[in-house]
Amino acid sequence: MIGLLAVLGVIVLAGGALLPLARVPLAVAIWVQGVGVGIVGIAGAIAFFGDRVAGSGFRAGVHPGFGIDPTSGFFLIVIAVTAVPVLVYSVGYIPGVGSARIVASLGGAFLLALIGVVCARDALSFLACWELMTILPAACILIARPELEVRRAIVEYLAITHLGGTGVWIAVLVLAERGVWGGASLSAQGSGVVALVGIAALVGFGSKAGLVPLHMWLPRTHPVAPSPLSALMSGVMVKVALYGLIRIVFTWMDPAPTWLGIAVMVVGAVSAFGGILGALVQRELKRLLAYSTIENVGIVAMALGASIVLGAAGAHTWAAIAFAAALLHVLNHAVIKAVLFLSAGSIERATGEHRVDRLGGLLGRMPWTGAAFGVGILAIAGIPLLNGFASEWLILESVIHAVGSSGHAAAAVSALALAVLAATIGLALLCFVKLGGLALLGRPRSDGARNAADVGRTMRAGVVALAGGCLVLGTFPGLVLAPLLRLRSAPMPSGMGVGLWLPGTGGLPTLGLLIVIGLATTVLLGVRGRRSEPAPVWNCGQADEPALAWTSAGFSSSLLLSVRGVLPTERVLTRDAGGGVLTDVRYAQHVPNHFEAQLYQPLQRMALRLAHLARRLQSGSLQAYVAYFVAVLIVLLIFARLVGS
Amino acid sequence: MTAAELATGAVMLVGLVAAPLLPGMIQRQKAYLQGRVGASIWQPYRDLRRLWHKRVVQPSGTTVIYLVAPAASAAALLAAILIVPAAANAPQFGVGHDALVVVGVLALARGLLALSAWDTTSSFGLMSAGRDLAFAVAGELLLALVLLTAVLPVGSTDLGAMWLGASGSGIWSHPAHWCGLVGMVLILLVETGRQPIDNPDTHLELTMVHEGPLLEYAGRDLAYLQWSAAARHWVVMLLAAGLFLPHPSGTVAGLAAVLGWVVALTVLLALIETMTAKMRLLRVPHLIGATGLLALGGVASWILGAAL
Repeated sequence: MIGLLAVLGVIVLAGGALLPLARVPLAVAIWVQGVGVGIVGIAGAIAFFGDRVAGSGFRAGVHPGFGIDPTSGFFLIVIAVTAVPVLVYSVGYIPGVGSARIVASLGGAFLLALIGVVCARDALSFLACWELMTILPAACILIARPELEVRRAIVEYLAITHLGGTGVWIAVLVLAERGVWGGASLSAQGSGVVALVGIAALVGFGSKAGLVPLHMWLPRTHPVAPSPLSALMSGVMVKVALYGLIRIVFTWMDPAPTWLGIAVMVVGAVSAFGGILGALVQRELKRLLAYSTIENVGIVAMALGASIVLGAAGAHTWAAIAFAAALLHVLNHAVIKAVLFLSAGSIERATGEHRVDRLGGLLGRMPWTGAAFGVGILAIAGIPLLNGFASEWLILESVIHAVGSSGHAAAAVSALALAVLAATIGLALLCFVKLGGLALLGRPRSDGARNAADVGRTMRAGVVALAGGCLVLGTFPGLVLAPLLRLRSAPMPSGMGVGLWLPGTGGLPTLGLLIVIGLATTVLLGVRGRRSEPAPVWNCGQADEPALAWTSAGFSSSLLLSVRGVLPTERVLTRDAGGGVLTDVRYAQHVPNHFEAQLYQPLQRMALRLAHLARRLQSGSLQAYVAYFVAVLIVLLIFARLVGS
Repeated sequence: MTAAELATGAVMLVGLVAAPLLPGMIQRQKAYLQGRVGASIWQPYRDLRRLWHKRVVQPSGTTVIYLVAPAASAAALLAAILIVPAAANAPQFGVGHDALVVVGVLALARGLLALSAWDTTSSFGLMSAGRDLAFAVAGELLLALVLLTAVLPVGSTDLGAMWLGASGSGIWSHPAHWCGLVGMVLILLVETGRQPIDNPDTHLELTMVHEGPLLEYAGRDLAYLQWSAAARHWVVMLLAAGLFLPHPSGTVAGLAAVLGWVVALTVLLALIETMTAKMRLLRVPHLIGATGLLALGGVASWILGAAL
């Protein structure tokens, strides 16, 4: 039943991916893709909620096998819940993109690759789908926008993900060689193999998930990608990368060693904090959102690390809760980030602006998109009643319990991680209140924003549906958490209900909070009393001029000034003076990107130098190439002789 | 429901009404310490009554965010009051008793007020809101660690269990508890917006932190916001008293002790406000961060099993 449904869905999706190349209306093709993904998602939901398995199990050898188990089912839900609204949105968006038909077709293929990674049951299919998942969005972006700047970004994306991707190959191939795909135990292979696989998987899947320091492709690629693709890459692709890590660490390496948990937690904490600091100083809307993805992937990694640490310490209930918290945040962030990227796309379309300081007043001008964007912003800022808070609460609880019930080193790292996580959540509030204020509220700060009007019906429907998802997941997180706990075969806490009542906490009754706060707000608004005529804002009697409008840099300046010891801001003041008269004064400030300057650029220079050296080998003369062949042959013969004897 | 539970619940509900008394008491004591007569401790109630009879003035060009912020802010504080138990056996009001949820609803109020400042585009409001959120970054870091020192002995973030864990004298042999206490005093100053972090009496817009966005509100909107500020005093003082100040574990004696500490904390705040000047704004995160290190030291001492 599940298998049939999934196969049906995949066939429909594949058809939808081919249709744009035929002479059918583009909208029809995208709708067909949406139906296909939806069917696959339903199959995943049956497997996940019903705790069912379908198709092949994990197998050694080279025969391709695909199957669904509850873990895959959950990730299929993540894919479908995000992709269906994204596709609905695309119906209105894609026709405005360059080479729309090819982009739509490649987009469908990208979805197939994502589904393939999650459902692959043998090493070769997994790696094939994995590589497709990397290459297809790059092809998509290049076809949509062949400019030089875009090509540079894509080269960087491919370089980072391929360099990091060697980790994936090493981990997957070692596991295949040792028969772990076929069911052999990984822990029986000795701690050396476990360490190799653990580190390779963390580097490989981490680079694709956008964990620091292999994260720079995210803020490069997202601003140039079409918005639906950004939403899929940020919402789903980085999560599918985490799926790989989860599969290896939690399915095959169980129980994983404490050091791996500490490593994952540290990498996660650095990514979360670095990501949100990066987001805070960005001026481009989509780049800001990309940095926030790094932050959230880091938060998920912290929960996974806490789960490993707790599991290694024997605290199985909380190990399972931490694991479930990570996956709940995966789902929540997928939905939130899709809302944000899609609305960002609509905002860019409607205003022609991509700088946050040039927006403003969009809540009134684009009521549907603006409201959805606002919900997404509150959710990602970790405001209670929405889904971001529910999973961040669970992750904070997990880290707190990791302090209380693990060994000295793990407890100390968890305590530091808790401090970092708390500061990260505080920074996220600052960052997203700022973004919401700049984009949605106040007066428009450019002509584009002043003349903006809401986008077409399908583009509105996509974001509004996702914003509704934020509300629903924020109110009923318990319904998802319970089956997630079952993935780690943890007993269900009694009296869970729709909220989060867990042992060792005071409970997060999401529905109760919604009722109390909602009811009180309604009552207080009802008795708000008489209103006078609207009056101008108080500015000490000064006229309210656009030049006085508050900027992104102004709002975060108190924070940036107080952390200038660790994150210095570069200021440039230019004075033009001629004949003793000051004619013009310009001021610019920016926060330099240390990763860029101190890690990536030296590496780039080194790679170029190596390439230069390698070019000398390519002399172009036939004799030289023949000499190479002979040399290689002799070396191989010597090698064979030595190994043979 | 037992009589003890009823008593605890009653004290918590009293907080809804009694909260404005706390700023009134602080003001009165401050006046006394400064050699003035000062206003009566009932002055906040008089202010609320006056505001209740005034009209609401909405700045032109504002949206639903401005409209909702005061009511939702007050509603969030109402939820916070219902979450923070006055003793271990608090009755359920349907909102749980979790420590981190309290932090969340306080952030809800703070975030909405900052958004309202963006809505009005008032420079003073935005200046203040930016500072408030910047302080909150360090504040949340500190609060997480301070709460952790109270969570570790009981292994639960349930505030009732934490209240019980902090009762009696045994807890005072742990250095972590002392570190938590010091951190909590600073949390009290940050969350209630008192000197040296912020000056609630200031009328100079340039130095405002919590008050800035309030400039654009009038009438009942302003009354909601002033009640919210008072409720923040109640919530944080009750947390400080229940989790970090000595009290017996019995319900009635514990309630009496906790309420006594709340009054004592108003004296402490009045003393601090009289004796210190407002700090340089940019130093505040450093002070909070340094106290965070102290709290982290407390946590480390707990992990290593240190005892006095």
